[in-house]
Amino acid sequence: MNTGTFNPPEIDYLAIAPILIIFGTAVLSVLVEAFVGRTARRPVQLVLVIGSLLVALYFVISQAGTRTITANGALVIDGPALVLWGALLVLSLLGAMLMAERTLDPSGDVFAARAAALPGSEDERQFTQRGWVQTEVWPLFLFSVSGMLMFVAANDLLLMFVALEVMSLPLYLLAGMARRRRLLSQESALKYFLLGAFSSAFFLYGASLLYGFSGTVSLPGIAEAISAKPSQGPLLILGMALLVVGLLFKVGAVPFHQWTPDVYQGAPSAVTGFMAATVKIAAFGALLRVMYVAFGGIRWDWEPMLWVIAILTMFVGSIVALVQTDIKRMLAYSSIAQSGFIMLGVIAASAEGLSASLFYLIAYGFGTIGAFAVISMVRQSGGEATSLSAWAGLGRTSPVIGAVFAVFMLSLAGIPLTSGFVAKFGVFAAAIESGDTWLVIAAVVASIIAAFFYVRVIVLMYFSAPAKEPAVVAVPSAFTTIALAAGVTVTVVLGIIPQPLLELVANADVFLR
Amino acid sequence: MNEVIEPNLGETLVFWICGGLAVVGALGMVISRKAVHSALWIALTMINLAILYVANSAPFLGMVQVVVYTGAVMMLFLFVLMVVGVDSSDSLIETIKGQRVAALLLGVGLTIMLVAGLGAGLSGAGTIGLDAANAADGGNVQGLARLMFSDYIIAFQATGALLITAAVGAMVLTHREYWQPRKSQRELSQDRFTDGGHPGNKPSPGVYARHNAVDTPALLPDGSTSAISIPAPLRARDDARAIDVNDITNVRRLTEGESE
Repeated sequence: MNTGTFNPPEIDYLAIAPILIIFGTAVLSVLVEAFVGRTARRPVQLVLVIGSLLVALYFVISQAGTRTITANGALVIDGPALVLWGALLVLSLLGAMLMAERTLDPSGDVFAARAAALPGSEDERQFTQRGWVQTEVWPLFLFSVSGMLMFVAANDLLLMFVALEVMSLPLYLLAGMARRRRLLSQESALKYFLLGAFSSAFFLYGASLLYGFSGTVSLPGIAEAISAKPSQGPLLILGMALLVVGLLFKVGAVPFHQWTPDVYQGAPSAVTGFMAATVKIAAFGALLRVMYVAFGGIRWDWEPMLWVIAILTMFVGSIVALVQTDIKRMLAYSSIAQSGFIMLGVIAASAEGLSASLFYLIAYGFGTIGAFAVISMVRQSGGEATSLSAWAGLGRTSPVIGAVFAVFMLSLAGIPLTSGFVAKFGVFAAAIESGDTWLVIAAVVASIIAAFFYVRVIVLMYFSAPAKEPAVVAVPSAFTTIALAAGVTVTVVLGIIPQPLLELVANADVFLR
Repeated sequence: MNEVIEPNLGETLVFWICGGLAVVGALGMVISRKAVHSALWIALTMINLAILYVANSAPFLGMVQVVVYTGAVMMLFLFVLMVVGVDSSDSLIETIKGQRVAALLLGVGLTIMLVAGLGAGLSGAGTIGLDAANAADGGNVQGLARLMFSDYIIAFQATGALLITAAVGAMVLTHREYWQPRKSQRELSQDRFTDGGHPGNKPSPGVYARHNAVDTPALLPDGSTSAISIPAPLRARDDARAIDVNDITNVRRLTEGESE
């Protein structure tokens, strides 16, 4: 009996500094909401958000060589975690730029002036007229980012679950705060929340079954229990399946994709871009860690399951995207299809698969956030012109924006000289090396189908007569311009000289256990 | 490996009674059509789970379950239901055809899979119990505290982010602000008397032998009608009943004639 003695956990504060900085700034920014005057809040919040993201990014870069497990095994800082942290922070920075935009919409920024005012009410009109802004979005944004950082570095299922919720809850709120088409936005937030809570329950159920199997929630502990008990019980398989359902929901894999089109369409485009890029990265980061670290020893049991889901995801995403008439819904199905392609890297279950997935996630993140930046700029009198028919002839009326969007579409389709090609090549090669040739053949067929609808947008922009009510490209402020420029630069540069990033992810191809 | 403990008869009885009631409560919660009934059913489930926790040597968890969930959260939930309206019930119209049948089939499938899997996985597995774990730190609460502040310190801290997010989110979605300064009692009082305000009770609508309704204006001493005796909405809709002067003279003639 060791009553009275307590060994405090040893925490490597420097190694987890990025999480602490974002978390601390989020708390600080809640206090700013309480104590700073109404007019000064927005600039103060922006300085805090952008400053903290940059400082956190500095800490990630400055300790690129750190490989450690800290806080009694709860957090692991290894190669994949640091790469994902860097990607998440840079993409969050671009997402923050999109959310800070306030010149595109003549009536204000991208969020409702007051989310609590009833849509269409006199209150709403007055708040909008007075130019009030809902600055609470910034603390919520920072909490979400801190949850993502924890999610990809969590080494036990309990912390992973808490991080999942810290990441998701603010996103449910942000999705429901669009300035225009507010009822659609609120509906999407409610759907996202209900289905997200449902999937969290699956995650928890799986975690508790795995605890019953192994007596621990730590990922390496589960791996040990698996190798210690050669005859795997149904507890393990059931627990793993339920846990993975929770993660695949966040990834947007078929059949857990139902929320994606509605949320992508309803949420403000800036939030959609941020969420589409970063949540996918965080969720795949956690999925890779769970599959490789905890369940690496039984890959023969989970590979068939993920085979089926990957094929379903690629084909349902690509085929349903073909018939979409709304550009945001089309990109939502495209993101589903892309999840299927990234899952090839997970199924490969090798160092190459891991580094190829990381590269794919980064390339996808920049392409997506750029595409949504373009969508937020293409407008009609009633707000964003999301109907595909309004985009007809856009390439001729606005050549620069048309060309930039075409680059993103080509990259998502995986055409050479864009980042998407290198990314697809990487995961396909990794999957072939692991003997999943048939899966790669299916993926190639799916990407040909997918290429069709990406190219269709380009054809629409360049070879169709302009619509009766053509969309106009609004002139953005520096915020959106920076995000868009970063997105298109990374997409093109990674397509032409991918070597530096390929080397970076190749050096980060092992999870620390 | 800890030694395996055989459950005694009392524990088995408690398990089957409370476990059964918990399942009944869970089913009742899903089947009830009224939200209040659902809330009460889930309270039943939670109390039975609390008893099971205590029976399994986790008294702290059991108490927390009763105090926090059954006591605070569920009662708060009931308050909200009462405020929103006890009568509101879900629409039972299927918006997607065949949705309910499909959901039922998939749900039953999942249940069979889970029950079969758990049954196969747990049969033969012995009971370890919490006694050894509780003794290690000198008690149940001490053991929990040690875990919370050592292995799970980060998760424990991170739940703080959840609570802050919940509070900020609730404020953002529900806190109504005013775009103009609210009037004080003094200003309201001044408004009532200035600008032609009417400080006292307004005259009540006219009550006559033939008309006795709010849309009938009151008569002033000089025989004219008083507009403010009629409610403002009726006035706005032009629904005030006109007084026929002939009626007045008729009535006067009749009454004077009778008195002669």
